[in-house]
Amino acid sequence: MENAYGTLSGPNITIRELQKDKISFILSDTDLSVANSLRRVMIAEVPTIAIDMVEIETNTTVLADEFIAHRLGMIPIESTDVERIKYTRDCTCSQYCSECSVELTLHVKCTDDRTRDVTSRELISSNPQFQPVLTDKNDSGILIVKLRKGHELSIKCIAKKGVAKEHAKWSPVSGVAFEYDPYNKLRHTHYWIEEDEKKEWPLSKNAALEAPPDPNAPFDYNAKPDRFYFSSETVGSLQPEEVVSMAMKTLLDKLAYVQMQLKEEVDMKKQDHTSWGY
Amino acid sequence: MPSTFRTLEREEAFRNPSNKKFGTPELQEVVKPHLESFDSLTKFGNGDTGLLDLAVKDIGHKTVFDGVGEDGLGNKITYWIEGISIAKPAVNVRDTTSLHREIYPSECRERLITYKGRLQATINWRFNDGPVNTELKDLGQVPLMIKSNKCHLYGLYSKGLVERHEESEEMGGYFIVNGIEKIIRLLIVPRRNHVVAIIRNSFQNRGPTYSPYGCSIRCTRPDQTSLTNTVHYLTDGNAMIRFAWRKQEYMIPAIMILKALIDTSDKEIFDALCQGDTKNTFLTDRIELLLRSFKVYNLYTRESCLRYLGDKFRVVMDVAEDMTDVQVGEELLRKAVLVHLKEGRDKFNLLVFMIRKLYSLVSGECCEDNPDSPQHQEVLLGGHLYGMILKEKLFDWLSSIKAQIRTDIRLKSSKVDFMNNKYFTGVMTKVPSDVGGKLSYFLATGNLVSNTGLDLQQATGYTIVAEKLNFYRYISHFRCIHRGAFFAELKTTTVRKLLPEAWGFLCPVHTPDGSPCGLLNHLAHKCKVVNEPLDVSMMPRLLASLGVSQPVLHTINRPDYVCVQLDGKIVGWCSIKSALKVSQSLRFWKVTGQHNVPADLEIGYVPTSHGGQYPGLYLFSTPARMMRPVKYLANGNTDMIGSFEQVYMDIACLQDEVIPGISTHIEFTPTNVLSIVANMTPFSDFNQSPRNMYQCQMGKQTMGTPSTALNHRTDNKMYRLQSGQTPVVRPDLHNLYGFDGFPNGTNAIVAVISYTGYDMEDAMILNKSVHERGFGYGTVYKAEVVDLSDLRVTGEPIMHHFGLAGGVNKKIREKLDEDGLPFIGVQLKAGDPLCAYVDETTGQTIIKKYKGPEDGLVDEVRLIGDDASSTELQKVHIKLRITRSPIIGDKFSSRHGQKGVCSQKWPAVDMPFTESGMQPDVIINPHAFPSRMTIGMFVESLAGKAGALHGIAQDSTPFKFNEQNTAADYFGEQLLAAGYNYHGNEAMYSGITGEELKMDIYIGVVYYQRLRHMVSDKYQVRTTGPVHNLTMQPVKGRKRAGGIRFGEMERDSLLAHGVSFLLQDRLMNCSDYSQAHVCRLCGSLVSPISTKVASSVSSRRNVECRVCNTSKGIDVVAIPYVFRYLTTELMSMGIKLTLGVKP
Repeated sequence: MENAYGTLSGPNITIRELQKDKISFILSDTDLSVANSLRRVMIAEVPTIAIDMVEIETNTTVLADEFIAHRLGMIPIESTDVERIKYTRDCTCSQYCSECSVELTLHVKCTDDRTRDVTSRELISSNPQFQPVLTDKNDSGILIVKLRKGHELSIKCIAKKGVAKEHAKWSPVSGVAFEYDPYNKLRHTHYWIEEDEKKEWPLSKNAALEAPPDPNAPFDYNAKPDRFYFSSETVGSLQPEEVVSMAMKTLLDKLAYVQMQLKEEVDMKKQDHTSWGY
Repeated sequence: MPSTFRTLEREEAFRNPSNKKFGTPELQEVVKPHLESFDSLTKFGNGDTGLLDLAVKDIGHKTVFDGVGEDGLGNKITYWIEGISIAKPAVNVRDTTSLHREIYPSECRERLITYKGRLQATINWRFNDGPVNTELKDLGQVPLMIKSNKCHLYGLYSKGLVERHEESEEMGGYFIVNGIEKIIRLLIVPRRNHVVAIIRNSFQNRGPTYSPYGCSIRCTRPDQTSLTNTVHYLTDGNAMIRFAWRKQEYMIPAIMILKALIDTSDKEIFDALCQGDTKNTFLTDRIELLLRSFKVYNLYTRESCLRYLGDKFRVVMDVAEDMTDVQVGEELLRKAVLVHLKEGRDKFNLLVFMIRKLYSLVSGECCEDNPDSPQHQEVLLGGHLYGMILKEKLFDWLSSIKAQIRTDIRLKSSKVDFMNNKYFTGVMTKVPSDVGGKLSYFLATGNLVSNTGLDLQQATGYTIVAEKLNFYRYISHFRCIHRGAFFAELKTTTVRKLLPEAWGFLCPVHTPDGSPCGLLNHLAHKCKVVNEPLDVSMMPRLLASLGVSQPVLHTINRPDYVCVQLDGKIVGWCSIKSALKVSQSLRFWKVTGQHNVPADLEIGYVPTSHGGQYPGLYLFSTPARMMRPVKYLANGNTDMIGSFEQVYMDIACLQDEVIPGISTHIEFTPTNVLSIVANMTPFSDFNQSPRNMYQCQMGKQTMGTPSTALNHRTDNKMYRLQSGQTPVVRPDLHNLYGFDGFPNGTNAIVAVISYTGYDMEDAMILNKSVHERGFGYGTVYKAEVVDLSDLRVTGEPIMHHFGLAGGVNKKIREKLDEDGLPFIGVQLKAGDPLCAYVDETTGQTIIKKYKGPEDGLVDEVRLIGDDASSTELQKVHIKLRITRSPIIGDKFSSRHGQKGVCSQKWPAVDMPFTESGMQPDVIINPHAFPSRMTIGMFVESLAGKAGALHGIAQDSTPFKFNEQNTAADYFGEQLLAAGYNYHGNEAMYSGITGEELKMDIYIGVVYYQRLRHMVSDKYQVRTTGPVHNLTMQPVKGRKRAGGIRFGEMERDSLLAHGVSFLLQDRLMNCSDYSQAHVCRLCGSLVSPISTKVASSVSSRRNVECRVCNTSKGIDVVAIPYVFRYLTTELMSMGIKLTLGVKP
């Protein structure tokens, strides 16, 4: 089914590894632009929930208000049901409401002589679906601040839905590894070498999945990249497979939106024509 | 090589500070010169006496006569200071409530007061030769050095220090004056008690026949005050001694001094000066001339010489009236001639030596000594300077008592009754005795107010503020050493030169560029300044046993013999060959500790040469010398060597430089020659040297961690980096000096790539996500002090009270509490109330507004009481926190003098990324490297990457790698082992298209510093705004919302471009555009005046020319307002300016 435009069978995906917070897959039979779009959307446009506003009632800790607020923002929050939450900008409420936000409260006071660690475990969510991420039952949570005797922290956090385009705290992934053409058959890049390429440039792990090039084979200048090795680690707010599927959905939504606009435009143009009597 | 970050170790040290030791004892060594010199004021050497006791002894007795009686002088009262004591800082005696009477430094910092202790003097006096009366006199409170033996923190370790609100590794060595930490700067001064030959043209200005030749010696008394004597060569062959007494210079023929010092004969003088070298006709001619020319004075005996001198100097010396001329002459010799020596015979011998050296300089047998070389320099230590000033102020106090008594005698001699003890105590109370206040003034301003000048060349700039901007800067203050303000004005650059003699003592890298370059140096990190007096009582015996002839035979008649001196005292003569032997033996004994030869003794052997330095064996045991450790090859022990002896020693730097049979010493490590801050530059041996200098400067401007006791600090401005990290790549010394306690930057993933163009010209692109996660996030703390006692009229009761009266609106109550002080954590915008107080007279609440342009958050409010804690609150200190997240235009730098400005915060998805999905935090342009040649930064990147991949701390001490064992290979192998490219390159993909970039990219981990220069403090923009009211042109200055001058050269460039519209826009429309009436008929700009039209209907004004008396020719023209001003100015001078107005 191959022709000059690649395969017609459409993109394929092969999952190589799937863990709690990690996914590796191969995206094949598609164009570089599609693969890169997926990467970009995974990083920056998959919506999650993160603390966006912090109302500080009492803070007698050693850390400044704004610094604690920043730390809270970076705490990943379980966002599997993120679809149920609206963006605040799309919501009808004036500031925030339960439809577009989750409220988390924290109130800790240290009365002990020992240093008291305040962790993300102590954030109490108004909505059980949206809890600070814990890897397992023994996870003590993410350290927010340490208290000494007499210190108190009492805060109300408003978590909102958002995307990493706006702020990095909404990113579901810590990074997306992306590679194609591990043998550099396409000669997109030029490896700078001092003496011996084999010695100085260790092959990437993905090279094992491709046949090594025949050194005598002529250079195929028509070849295009069509196998993309993805690997991504999440921050915990979403399952890795969710990130990928939600990224694809986001891409689809974007296209659907364009499609809808196109339709509207066409309809408008048609109306214009009819009004002119055609 | 260390490969761990010692995280747990450090955490443990922070959690449980030790009670017995410091975490980083090396840090305590840094301030030793300051601390030890201050301690020596009260304890110098082994005994209980301090420098102050010696000073008091040196001041001696004062005598006044009342003039009553027959013999003309009358009754005598003699008084003197018997002893002096300094108490530890304590609570004011008026305070009756405090249980703990000690005042700790942190209280002084927080209360913005001076850390001072009471100075008391025991003053004794006697009437005629009657019994001695004693009184303890309060002389005010003197500022005390933190952690000195007069400080409450003395002997405390980490735990105790933390309990007293100090840093766990507090070093001390500074003073606290009005809450500000001040350091007495180390100063370079000529080496004491050593004769230097000088050729200086300005010597000719001393008088007729004075030549440029001279021999100078800076003599130091036991109390560390000094006086310089210079022997001048006159063109007629004569020699004159010059010294300064109370800033006035005096010249005395050398022969007169020689004859006055001991009972001697012309023959003895001839023999001493000639030393048997009768064949040297140059010498004999001059000695003959010396002796002959003295005949005109007709002084033949010692007594006649002394009498002659005493007669001339009686008034100058301000001595007791009952002293004879001979006694005055002796006093002069004691106090002004070669003051480091006691015995007349020693002084005679040394003066002879000076004359001999002078003649050999003139004849060209020896060369001049370079006073700019560290060989002939030592350090003026803070404590010693402090002691000198204290001594002079005590002396002045005694003198002012004398002056007061004299005034009393002159005015009302009947009231003066020396018999009555009340009279003398009364005088003492009358005379201002606040010696402590004078020292506080000195420390606060750095200005030296002195009658004698203290043998120093400058009057200002002695103290500096110990800024806690970051730890590098703080530490450098203690290690910086200045050449003297006098040299800063010199046009010649010779004083600024880096001399080979400075090797190991002054850091060749760590000096600022610009005006203080080469004048403001820093001590090498292993350089120590000797402070303890050494026991050299065994030296004469040892020297004699080594074959040195005794100085009693001051005429040895052996011209080939050289002089052996110990601290400027001639202790014998020997041949140059045996001098070498003596020096070698002494050194061996010194290093091995035999015969009690002290380890800090300096053995300066100067060999004979053809026209080189004057030969001899010069031993030094005095304090204030720079010393450093090197390894003695003979037994591998440490030998402390000084800057004088180093010049003639054979010290190898590296093992392969050792020449068998010649080299005697070897450096422990080449990094010993660098200062602490210069040592912190990673792989500095790979960099072009100026870049290392720049880094030394920039490291000190970095936003870092100023302190770990932030809540006890009240600095005016403090910069803090919130997300500081320990560098992955750091030298060994990083741990030694505990820099992990005060992180200075962040490890950043840096890609060297030209991407988007926003990294041109030293700009750097910051990853937006990284910024959002807190990269380089900083805070500025600013202090506002509100002191209501400034408003108080002296003598009146307190009329202003902090608080809010009724009728204050709600908006103010949002920010201020009932007590008139802001809530903690409240945000203040410009114009918001900072605090409020009630004026009792009017009953009004006065709101003090916050002026700063930036929003501040109230961090701390400190209520400051007075010393006796008896009055109500009048002073508050409000600490504001200003958040400074990095923005476009903020300055960053790596540790290699590679500074850059953030140009964009680039979205993470658009950043290039590696195969592993790694995106750079920072992108810099490859063009930053070829011309600057900071290869060290590449190596750091490589090492950082390998360190991050393997989880190890990388050692970046310079001079560890060489051509055989290169850094690139060492770290390349580590990278290869982690599966990365050997050279640190990686294939990268464009974030925008996902396409692999054409070239592989150099990417690694580099430690980045955020510099304190931020756009928020610097931006200057204006559309319209305040104008100058005379010219109507925009004002200048950023603070006043002024403009930036569009000057002549800018104008020229617009003219050259022919863009006249822009020119008009800048110079007219945007500046002082105005409309003015002009009379077309007479052409005058000033004659048109407006007149009221005599009409009740309209109030229209009519403009009329006063000259032409008509409004016919009036036109309106657009002119710059200054033109109108010019016209009026000219008119006032009678010059008419006519405008030709055409339609």
